Amino acid sequence: MPTFVYMTSCDGCGHCVDICPSDIMHIDPVTRRAVNIEPNFCWDCYSCVKACPQNAIDSRGYADFAPMGHSVRVLREEDKGTISWRLKFRDGREKHFESPIRTTAWGSIKCASEYEAPSTEAINSQELAHEPDYLKTDQGLPSITVDQFIKYELAPASAANKKSKKISTQAAE
Amino acid sequence: MAGKKTVFVDSDILVIGGGFGGCGAAYESRYWGRDKKVVVVEKANIERSGAVAQGLYAINCYMGMRWGENEPEDYVRYQRNDLMGLVREDLGYDIGRHVDSTVHKFEEWGLPIMTDPATGRYQREGKWQIMIHGESYKPIVAEAARKAADAVYNRIMVTHLLMDKKKPNRVAGAVGFNVRTGDFYVFQSKAVIVAAGGASHIFKPHSAGEGMGRTWYAPWSSASAYALPIRVGAKMTQMENRIVLTRFKDGYGPVGAYFLHLKTYTQNGYGEPYEPAWRQSIEDMVGDYVNHEPVPTCLRNHAFLKEVEAGRGPIRMVTKEAFKDPHKEIVGWENFLGMTIGQAVVWAANNIDPKEVNPELVMSEPYVMGSHATCSGAWASGPEDYAPDEYQWGYNRMMTVDGLFGAGDTLGGTPHKFSSGSFTEGRLAGKAANKYVDDLGTNPPEVSEDEYLELKEMIYQPLETYRVGRNEITAGTVSPTYLLPLSGLQRLEKIMDEYCGGVGQRYMVNEPLMMRGKELLKMLKEDLANLGADSLHQLQRAWELHHRVLASECVTAHTMFREETRWPGYYYRGDHPKLDDKNWHCFTLSQYDERTGEFEMEKAPVYHLVDDVKQAAE
Amino acid sequence: MFDINPFAELSHSISPAIMQGFVIAMAVCVAGGTLFDVVHKGSAKYFFGLVKKGALGKARTVPFSEKVSVVAKTTAHDVLASGEFCNVRRRLAHLLTMYGFLAYVIATATMVFVYPGTGTTTPAILVNVWWVGIVMLAAGCYWFWFFIRVDVASEGNSPFRMVRADLFVVALMVSSSFGIIWGYLQVTGNFWSTFALGLYLISTTILFGSVIWSKFSHMFFKPAAAYQKNMAKADGGRRNLPPPSDKPSLYGKVQRHSHHY
Repeated sequence: MPTFVYMTSCDGCGHCVDICPSDIMHIDPVTRRAVNIEPNFCWDCYSCVKACPQNAIDSRGYADFAPMGHSVRVLREEDKGTISWRLKFRDGREKHFESPIRTTAWGSIKCASEYEAPSTEAINSQELAHEPDYLKTDQGLPSITVDQFIKYELAPASAANKKSKKISTQAAE
Repeated sequence: MAGKKTVFVDSDILVIGGGFGGCGAAYESRYWGRDKKVVVVEKANIERSGAVAQGLYAINCYMGMRWGENEPEDYVRYQRNDLMGLVREDLGYDIGRHVDSTVHKFEEWGLPIMTDPATGRYQREGKWQIMIHGESYKPIVAEAARKAADAVYNRIMVTHLLMDKKKPNRVAGAVGFNVRTGDFYVFQSKAVIVAAGGASHIFKPHSAGEGMGRTWYAPWSSASAYALPIRVGAKMTQMENRIVLTRFKDGYGPVGAYFLHLKTYTQNGYGEPYEPAWRQSIEDMVGDYVNHEPVPTCLRNHAFLKEVEAGRGPIRMVTKEAFKDPHKEIVGWENFLGMTIGQAVVWAANNIDPKEVNPELVMSEPYVMGSHATCSGAWASGPEDYAPDEYQWGYNRMMTVDGLFGAGDTLGGTPHKFSSGSFTEGRLAGKAANKYVDDLGTNPPEVSEDEYLELKEMIYQPLETYRVGRNEITAGTVSPTYLLPLSGLQRLEKIMDEYCGGVGQRYMVNEPLMMRGKELLKMLKEDLANLGADSLHQLQRAWELHHRVLASECVTAHTMFREETRWPGYYYRGDHPKLDDKNWHCFTLSQYDERTGEFEMEKAPVYHLVDDVKQAAE
Repeated sequence: MFDINPFAELSHSISPAIMQGFVIAMAVCVAGGTLFDVVHKGSAKYFFGLVKKGALGKARTVPFSEKVSVVAKTTAHDVLASGEFCNVRRRLAHLLTMYGFLAYVIATATMVFVYPGTGTTTPAILVNVWWVGIVMLAAGCYWFWFFIRVDVASEGNSPFRMVRADLFVVALMVSSSFGIIWGYLQVTGNFWSTFALGLYLISTTILFGSVIWSKFSHMFFKPAAAYQKNMAKADGGRRNLPPPSDKPSLYGKVQRHSHHY
């Protein structure tokens, strides 16, 4: 459902502009505050809502199919590794949910280049990085052979019809 | 003014698109290429870009080989079964044998994967799916990619690939523009991995107002994955294999966890089961395929569609019993909040509590993509250790253009990859691209200054068209001389809906309809020369439309070529209403010629692994 | 040079009464403009409606003593220390302009009303405060204008692009710049001081006169909004936001930068 920005809370920091995958969170030229300039290209992904340090962005259901009076708000706490949701139905019922979002510290991923450089044997094999260890089986990387494939033969007339057929984007003659 | 500065970026490996496919490509490129320059270019911000922006609640491609749950051959059979026989089994096996290491790495990086308290294994949602708390799935994976790459260029829209000026049919880089500053970017690279988005918004969606934003597949998937390779003559496959999804109404919330974990089921508007009633209809169309287990996705759609057409809709998901269990209720809601928040909003807005009401389902408008339950995309070379000769011409995941690799939605023939499989395919492309670059030696490709200067003028033209054309009218959006990107998009969606099997035609096509569709697409393509953009944001929309139109032409050409109904429930040919294995148990391939605007079509054989498949010998 | 009261110097050509009249006129513009803005747009009606709606959604009644504490904290943290800004640069720039403006305006009013003309001796410290204030204000404005402004820092617009939202900051920037130029020319007895004064007066009039069209009045709304937000946290209403998780803080936050493109 498309997002909107609370006037009294937005301080024009630009995090939503930076994060929006659709490039629709921009800065209003009259207020210098964030605004959703293309709600019909808003996927309701909540990236901007989660990114706003002031919780100044909210969402409401798409106008062509969502009745009014509801609320779905979120609090993403990176330092705790949690996300909390508070849903309010049109009739006032509430539902609350909380989930983990990460089990490790932000920035803690070991870079691919920090691992020991691969051997020539590994380079020439079909193994990808960290294999076969990270497959966590006792066997190596599974493989098959080309003779385990059977070609499906089309009817002879059809196979002969394999010659190319031009399909033009010009109008048909 | 826009385009005032040109930025040149050189690299060994250029990854176009920072989604799951691109992040996998970046990571693996760095692992194998310690001294290589790896650059990622992304239209939005890699932190949340792509289809996984809002998160995922399940990883739908995990073998679980460590616990003997599945083997890669099982996965290939599953793919083949769901796609009515037509998949690249060599590519599928390759994903299946590697994807587990991807998932284990994700867990190490910090992705919370749910565990089954009874067994200690990952909590299975179904045979191929495991459940995760994936709200931050993309930020976690993006972190790995950001560290691996020498540079990640955010907010650069790549509009065209550049070809080597010395050697024909070899890629040399790409061009694009900075959506914030307007600067022109020229990328020169020894290898290019396309991992951009597939096609949403080429068919008119059910909701055409504000709700057109709530597509099932992200609205920013603008078919760049297809348009970029199509334009330079890479062969494409299965572009007719569009996907239609049965999802919760309006929000398109996912149903996987509902069917598999909550064990919910469907009923018609009168509370009756309906699928068995359509068995004969299905058998009349596809013969023995009706006996396949599990029922292929398209055939389930077919029954749904027929029941609704017979006037017994709406189809509902029976949730009232399942939601009485508090654990299942939590899963039912969190399934949306971690993946498709919009569905939770729809239910909150409508006072729908699945404990009290069985919510409605709907069949969506069609999409074209390569990582979900369909496999449209570029034709790629397979793994060197076992792929049949006709399926390999050198490097794994390389298209028919030298040095041009693909991953994720970009590549055709490998469905059911989802997030983990797309990342894995990116890894495969990354390793293969490294080998390709090493083999290039001292004669790397070079971009042509003539080519990129010509493209530069074309890229910024819509800004100039608007600037000058705006002088003609007083105000408003109606101009006789320039085409606004949104107008062009709505026109495209209407053409495809009415002539190429959209919801308005109940997914029905035939030759006369498609011929007319092609005429209209041709005129639309001509009118793209008059696109007018009043800002860099609108310039991005203009180029997204360019990509969508080219992809749509390809989809139409493929749909015309395949003279059978292979996937009822995805689309139907009124003039060829049955499945025809004798003549069409094969892949469709196309190759585009930019100068003539023509698609040259051909058939490519299907190779099956192990299983006995009845030959349609005469 | 920085000890000489420029207004006292000016009183040779313009009577203190006229200067005082101008200052009063500017104050009336601000008050009148803000009041008109509030009445015409119904912003006060909206705000009190918001308070009422918030009261409906509250989870607990906040005792008076706690309300006092919330007011005190809001005043100390959000108002006086510009604590609502999460970004360090933005916060510093705002503190610079806010305290610079206050120092400059209070010093101006004091010099014009309490030490008019050349009859009295203006304390040097007062004149120093005026200079420090107006330079802080100008510095903060230029820093914000060229480097921090979100439509430049995040959207990639040219720093020379001007839209309606810039009316307040540009008027402030230009007015304080001309003020500095005039002050210097006035106390050094330069012939061009009259010309500079003219520009200073025009830009200052635009600044205070355009309150209805600019974001000037926000400086009065923001403290009220900050108080209301903190009250909503205290009474559990939170404007429909969920409460913070009671999990411990373990992982650290990722520092985000303003320039992402």
